Amino acid sequence: MAVSALSVPRPVAAPALPLLERRRRLAGAAFLAPAALYMIVFFGYPMVHNLVMGSQDYSVSSFYTGDAPFVGFDNYAAIFSDPAFWPTLGRTAMFTVASIVFQFVIGLALAVFFVRRFPLSGVIRALLLLPWLLPLVVSASVWRWIFDQDNGILNIALRGAGVIDEPIGWLNTVAWSLVSVIITNIWIGIPFNLVLLHGGLQAIPGSLYEAAALDGAGPWRQFTHISWPLLKPVTQVTLVLGLVYTLKVFDVIAVMTGGGPASSSQTLTVWSYQLSFNEFLFGQGAAVGNLLIVIALIAGLAYVRSAQQSLRSAS
Amino acid sequence: MTEPRPAAATRARRVPRRLGSTLIALVILAVLLFPVYWMVNASFFTSAQVLSVDPPLMPWSGTLDGYRQALESQGPNLLTSIAVATGTVVLTLAIAIPAGYALARFRVPGAGIVLFAIMVVQMVPNIVLANSLFDILSSIGLFDTYVALVLADSTLAIPFAIIVLRAFMLGIPGEVIESAQLDGAGYLRTLTRVVAPMSRNAIITAGLFTFLFAWGDFLFGVTLTSGQGLVPVTVGIYQFIGTQVSEWNAILATAVLASIPAAILLVVAQRYIAAGVTGGAMKE
Amino acid sequence: MNRTIVPVVVSASVLALAACSTAADPGAGESSGGTTDLAASITQLDGYTDGTSAEAWQSMLDECSDETGVAIERQSLPTSQMMPTILRQASSRSMANLIFVDNPNVQQIAATGALAPLDSLGLSADGYPDGIAAAGSYDGSLYGLAPGVNALALFYNKDILADAGVEPPTTWDELRAAAAELTTGNTYGLSMALLPTEEGTWQFLPFFWGAGAELTDVGSDEAVEALTFVQGLFDDGSVSASALNWNQAEAGDQFTAGQAAMTITGSWSVANFDKAASVDYGIVPIPAADGSAAPVALGGEVGVISQADDAEMAAAAAVLECMTSPEHQTYWAEQHAYIPGQTAVAEEYGAATPTMQAFVDAVASARPRTDDLGEAYPTTSTALIEAVQNALTGQLSPADALNAAASSVSSGQ
Repeated sequence: MAVSALSVPRPVAAPALPLLERRRRLAGAAFLAPAALYMIVFFGYPMVHNLVMGSQDYSVSSFYTGDAPFVGFDNYAAIFSDPAFWPTLGRTAMFTVASIVFQFVIGLALAVFFVRRFPLSGVIRALLLLPWLLPLVVSASVWRWIFDQDNGILNIALRGAGVIDEPIGWLNTVAWSLVSVIITNIWIGIPFNLVLLHGGLQAIPGSLYEAAALDGAGPWRQFTHISWPLLKPVTQVTLVLGLVYTLKVFDVIAVMTGGGPASSSQTLTVWSYQLSFNEFLFGQGAAVGNLLIVIALIAGLAYVRSAQQSLRSAS
Repeated sequence: MTEPRPAAATRARRVPRRLGSTLIALVILAVLLFPVYWMVNASFFTSAQVLSVDPPLMPWSGTLDGYRQALESQGPNLLTSIAVATGTVVLTLAIAIPAGYALARFRVPGAGIVLFAIMVVQMVPNIVLANSLFDILSSIGLFDTYVALVLADSTLAIPFAIIVLRAFMLGIPGEVIESAQLDGAGYLRTLTRVVAPMSRNAIITAGLFTFLFAWGDFLFGVTLTSGQGLVPVTVGIYQFIGTQVSEWNAILATAVLASIPAAILLVVAQRYIAAGVTGGAMKE
Repeated sequence: MNRTIVPVVVSASVLALAACSTAADPGAGESSGGTTDLAASITQLDGYTDGTSAEAWQSMLDECSDETGVAIERQSLPTSQMMPTILRQASSRSMANLIFVDNPNVQQIAATGALAPLDSLGLSADGYPDGIAAAGSYDGSLYGLAPGVNALALFYNKDILADAGVEPPTTWDELRAAAAELTTGNTYGLSMALLPTEEGTWQFLPFFWGAGAELTDVGSDEAVEALTFVQGLFDDGSVSASALNWNQAEAGDQFTAGQAAMTITGSWSVANFDKAASVDYGIVPIPAADGSAAPVALGGEVGVISQADDAEMAAAAAVLECMTSPEHQTYWAEQHAYIPGQTAVAEEYGAATPTMQAFVDAVASARPRTDDLGEAYPTTSTALIEAVQNALTGQLSPADALNAAASSVSSGQ
């Protein structure tokens, strides 16, 4: 869009716009052009590629020969009629919602707590971001040991405290595997939520709280009447990005359970990968990937609507 | 004794409360960072000890073998990762700062579509990106180069950086920009002399996130290099993970070492992050 | 450095060099110019990234580079990235000239037409057992050769068995009884790796085949019998439920930590177990239902050559011939605890290293996983391990789980 607007400065349209406004638009388009170009090459091309692949019978041979028969919606039909589809969709929803809700609530609670100043608050807050520095394969592996049925520190601690008598098979029972990967994913996501929300809270002028305190508003009222409403734009960004990043989670599940046991922790992303690289059904794998993109489209629409509102109010 | 002034009294009352906060914060830290501690602890043990029935709670009786191995083989890889992550930060900011500015302050035609695209493209599965990026980058002879890794890792960060910067720049008062332009500054000059400096905190935050995204990347690292010359440290970690043996102490020691530069950066940069990721978005 | 072994091998290698270049000639076509027909350099892709094996492989490559005069540009990747990378390279026509890939994937890749038949490059499977030749063949042509292969066997902790007065099991009944008896306190009777990937299928196959089941019919009574037997081991508590999530390295760690009295793993584990030196172990074949040794699946990576111009293919063939020379088969066996590919070399190695004899025997009769199904194997493999997981987690009975697998295989075809 931006590129074509830049390359076609049609003089005919000029009289309608004041010169200054026209120059302004051009400048804006020029600022946007590198990003647009980058995105077309590095995101547009792969996306189109994946869309096309989703309607092809793409096999191992297709990679070499380039031949992949067009099959229309066959791949989608195969996915929807696969007995694994609905359970996988349900688990994906569960994984995503639970991860986002807990990441957000815990991140927000921590942000509210750390927005106050006390000795060491800055350093401790910085240290809380440490989980983020670890490569996913490492943090997932560490959690894997913590959850281990026989030797994991979690079961050892719970048994020591008398909470349970028999060790829980966190990673190897159908009942617990999804819970375990969700817990891990929440842990990984807390720093991200904390940083964004803390930043948002910091930007709220302290004078608002002081005025509210003079009016006799307690901490809870201050939170519900000042912090929460003013935090709304940040909340939106955090939740939408959280959704996008959570739907995409692959490494954590792959390392901890591989989607098992008996597929009990398999999400759409993991399924897409397995269809492609375990069964070599690349068309179906791409179709599942496209389904995820559709979900993101919906979330993206919601975000853009609210973002445009704020653009309107800003200018 | 003279009567204490009210302010001092308040302060005196607050001191224990503030220390209480520190105490609570330390407890939170201990709980949330336990897995990190566990990793550091385990980096001193052999694989069998990691998986033993009563794992040692303290690393005192451990071995330094993992660290010896990690230092020997991963030293250069740490430098590679630093170079790639730094390059990614530079490229990402060079693209995202003007884009964020355009989306926040100009009525660019199609801005809504661009914003929408930014959200959606983040959903493309990484493996799909990796396949296509390999196509593009290897066909122009960039396989196994720093440039390829920087270009690819930027896919992880550019959409995010644009969102953060745009949100912040929305909050810069219009009068400041207009007065700069009345003084005769062009658009570019306004961006570099007024908008960018005012957005310092957001730029540092976006830069830090970008650094961390690039630092943690594994998939592009393994897709776009041969594993012989240029090896990011995340790929290096995989050199200790075989299907047949996993040298966990070396893996974890590498992870610990690899965390150090990023941790230093985090502590140094944290006061800028504190000053507001999305701060600008407040002032709707 | 591993180079210290070089002098011992050198004289043999020089002979091999002569053999290499002459052998490569017919394939390269023309003249008598020896090495002039070979490309100056080739690319090579392998999955040996961890310390010792990466180094040993490099020194083999270095020697073969010296012998053939072909420079070798090496790329090595984590195994999980091998197939994605090969496909990526195939689609951009930038495949490595010589690729060492897990043997069940050979037919997948050969089916694309991207590989060169080795027969036309002057290489043959002479001296290799049928199983290895079959694993490297597709549609009647030979595409892959391996310096070494591996197979599964049953490892047991001599001290624990002696203390309990248990003999190494030779039948299913004995295996189940021994595993139950050896399970005490923190020690399980047996550890294995039944994670939901190809690695899990590979571990289940000795039981599957050992009951007389075939991959062409995963819903058969024999298949149900096999799964019911394995389920019995889990129900007895003789195998930790964690086995559903363990890979072979982790299952092996249980054994070296003394938390499993027996374990099912491959020849390569010998190197790690000896290094850990914590357990005095013995090795016996995995029993089959009828009390004989169960057929196990053939494991290991096979060298294949991709289509390229004649000089590059000839150079790759020369390097592959050198990598699979008897000297290098033996060296790779010593360094990585694989079993030499050729029968005669393997027997010599078994005689010199008696602890490995069980594997030498196992490999001689090992079955390639792709024997019956060819390129359709991955679908069946996925369905089979899914059935195993469904039964062992109590989601379905072994019969229902395997029937579901059978119907998903037939609908997928």
